[in-house]
Amino acid sequence: MSIERIADIGFGMEFGPWSPDTALGVASEAARSVGWVGGQRFTSHEGAREEGLPGALVPGILGMGFLCALIHRHIPAARIEHIDTVFRAPLIADEPCEVSAVVTDIDEDERRAELDLHVRNAAGETRIFGNATIRMPA
Amino acid sequence: MVDVEELKAKYLHLEFARRDFVIDPANTSTLARLSGETRPEFVDPAHPAFEVYPPFIASLSAGRHLPIDFPSLGGVPMDGGKSVQSIAPVPAGKPLNGRTHLHDIYDKSGRSGRMIFLVSRMEIFDGGDNLLAYSDSRMVVRERGDA
Repeated sequence: MSIERIADIGFGMEFGPWSPDTALGVASEAARSVGWVGGQRFTSHEGAREEGLPGALVPGILGMGFLCALIHRHIPAARIEHIDTVFRAPLIADEPCEVSAVVTDIDEDERRAELDLHVRNAAGETRIFGNATIRMPA
Repeated sequence: MVDVEELKAKYLHLEFARRDFVIDPANTSTLARLSGETRPEFVDPAHPAFEVYPPFIASLSAGRHLPIDFPSLGGVPMDGGKSVQSIAPVPAGKPLNGRTHLHDIYDKSGRSGRMIFLVSRMEIFDGGDNLLAYSDSRMVVRERGDA
């Protein structure tokens, strides 16, 4: 079903899981795009381990990007008014993850819906969680 | 032990950084594309409604954004998370102004000791002094016993 207006959104509706690209090259290019250069935490597994990390990281803002993309893929008419993400544990580059969302509240008068958001690794462990408020056409 | 109430009284809601900047359309569209974004207004700089991708806005407040005289809390700050509130589309390629203040300070205690959370907020204005968005960056510091 195409979701085009607030009336199309139902409480408990789930989106995903979707598996975004966590390749090391993607993580490092994302870091470069926002000017995070220097250090190897986003560019090299070996270098990141030398910094005491379990491996090269997917930047937290890329994790937030995965969640925004998930919302827009399923609800193209949504405008994300607010998104809040908690970086609970590192998301490691080159390791698969799944991104999902569930609708937790709807305000038809204000044309807003609330979503809970999760990024989980292959073991099903939550690495990033958060919530978003979207606004929809009437 | 750091007195959180004292820190709040001294530092909350006082602007400590202000800077002018322009967001390169290529950089924000790259981040959107890498995220798997499909909406053209975020991935195509030529789109008439092109705007900055929210996670790119979140990146603006990254790093140790604290007042210059803010005391050391002992531990190494970690990135605890980020949020973005959109009020109006943030344009790329146009002058913007970012103003940063400490928005909240709070602590949580657990088995491994006390964690102190510092929330710095960057408010983003356009050239006409209109507030377009704000971005919160949460830094988490595990307090050391001697701090």
